[in-house]
Amino acid sequence: MDTVIDVHNISKVYNPDTIPVYAVNNVHLHVDRGEFTALVGPSGSGKTTLLNILGGLDHPTSGTVVINGIDITNLSSNKLIDFRLHNIGFVFQSFNLIPVLTARENVEFIMLLQNVPKKERNQRVIALLNEVGLSDKMDVRPAQLSGGQQQRVAVARALASKPQFILADEPTANLDSASAFNLLDIMAKLNREENMTFIFSTHDQRVIERARRVITLVDGSIASDTAQTKTD
Amino acid sequence: MITTIAWRNIWRNKTRSLVIMTSVALGLWAGAFIAALYWGMGQERMRIAIENEIAHLQIHAPDFTLEFARIPAIHNATQLTAQVAAMKEVKAVSARAIAMGMLATATGSAGIQINGIEPNAEAATSQLKSKLTEGTYFESKKTNTALIGAKLAKKLKLKLNSKVVLTFQDKEDNLVSAAFRIEGIYQSYNTALDERNIYVPITTLNNLLGLQQQAHEIAILLHSDELTPVVKATLAAQNQDLKVQDWKEISPETGLILSTMGQASMVFVVIILLALAFGIINTMLMAVLERTREIGVLMALGMNKLKLFAMILTETFMLVMVGCPFGLLLAWGVIQLLSEKGIDLTNIAGQTMQDFGFSNVIYPGLPANQYLQIVILVVITAIVSAFFPAIRALRLKPVEAIRG
Repeated sequence: MDTVIDVHNISKVYNPDTIPVYAVNNVHLHVDRGEFTALVGPSGSGKTTLLNILGGLDHPTSGTVVINGIDITNLSSNKLIDFRLHNIGFVFQSFNLIPVLTARENVEFIMLLQNVPKKERNQRVIALLNEVGLSDKMDVRPAQLSGGQQQRVAVARALASKPQFILADEPTANLDSASAFNLLDIMAKLNREENMTFIFSTHDQRVIERARRVITLVDGSIASDTAQTKTD
Repeated sequence: MITTIAWRNIWRNKTRSLVIMTSVALGLWAGAFIAALYWGMGQERMRIAIENEIAHLQIHAPDFTLEFARIPAIHNATQLTAQVAAMKEVKAVSARAIAMGMLATATGSAGIQINGIEPNAEAATSQLKSKLTEGTYFESKKTNTALIGAKLAKKLKLKLNSKVVLTFQDKEDNLVSAAFRIEGIYQSYNTALDERNIYVPITTLNNLLGLQQQAHEIAILLHSDELTPVVKATLAAQNQDLKVQDWKEISPETGLILSTMGQASMVFVVIILLALAFGIINTMLMAVLERTREIGVLMALGMNKLKLFAMILTETFMLVMVGCPFGLLLAWGVIQLLSEKGIDLTNIAGQTMQDFGFSNVIYPGLPANQYLQIVILVVITAIVSAFFPAIRALRLKPVEAIRG
């Protein structure tokens, strides 16, 4: 299998000089292309911190993070921004779409940052919004979309940059059941049909049930890492 | 897309943006108006200096100075005056004989400059006739008549037909005294000059000085200011034994006033822009702080620092540039209106303005290049003001910003 994420011995310590708090403690992790992985654990277990480190949004105190063969641990902030742009897709719990842009523009924005030609951008925006079932909401701003619709735009946005993998932090936490199932269906379909790697932190049992691999964090350490045979 | 985001961001908080746009418009208006006021005052002073006192050019003997009791004369003055008058660029020319002397009355005396003039030529060159407030302009058949400034008349309690005795040195250094009757009293825009200058017919003064066909000064008024350097160069080339000077050389204080006015107006403009800068910084800082999470998301998604900086700079620039045309239009309208009507400061300043050689009525005006200068200053202010909020945004760490 093709390894996308290779994490060695990473720890994230807050207040190292006074009362050290280990948000992530000595974590080893391999994620292969095409995985559909859930990070679970109680609040404060380090799920979000681990996702932030995997996404290059936060630096580990120790250890290395290798994404697609590139050690991102010591990249400068500018290089990390560029790395994220071309390699990682993000889906946030609160959607975090740019409120002044329409659904189409939110998706297109990433490609603009990547300097993708206009024709290709247009084709891809239409394809992605079709894929998440929002072809009729292209010119609508986020405020006029439901939570579920906004999160689907966020998934389309995450896919727009053709990333190596997508990190989703509690993607269904702010969604009703129908919207959550709908979103999971889309994510699972993308994983199945396009071999897109998904790693998501969640408390949501509905999401956990759909994952093929479940990593449980307790106090910043991996307590269990199990493969699930029952998938979507 | 950065432009689109910046433009739409401006309208997220309409009231706040409109307030800052209005501030920009009013700031620009105030800056332009103050600059126009100073420019108008400077121009008025220059016009008074040229059209009422000095004229555009003057010709003197090479060693001419008013500090000597016996002033060096131009020997071929009559011929030269006729030659100058024939030039197409010349509007009027006046030959003047000058003597530094003493005016005495029964009750007092004063040091004065006696100007011998050809009445019609002087009226055309310095508008002396139009400044007459009492009496007549050399209409008397008598040759020993004089025009005296209102301030000097008041000081020496002189009235029309009062008799005065003028004492000065002739060309042989003999002391000469002659009695004159006050035929007219004038008041110019410069009370300091009114107090020092009296006017008599040039033939009378030349007779007393012992001069013939001579003058000490030839004042030349041109059809436009722009002709000054050309005519000066021509006359200087034709009269290498004489000194040809323009108004700036003769009256450096007028040039100094003009540049000082320009500098003073710029100080006011900078103060206004400084206040504006703080308004812009406050607004943009609020905008950045309100959008901390959004900026964090943009950085997380891959917007680099340069683009983020450009976005905030563009937003500030747009905010300012929307207000700019309104401010310019307002400034232009008000300045146009007042440039015709003028601002009468008589009730506020009284005689003070005239004591310093200014008219009581100021006609504000601003050349196009100064409007441009102010706009450039506003744009620079906007860009500089955007730096602080932009740097603040750049310092955000995406992970903390997203967390809010």
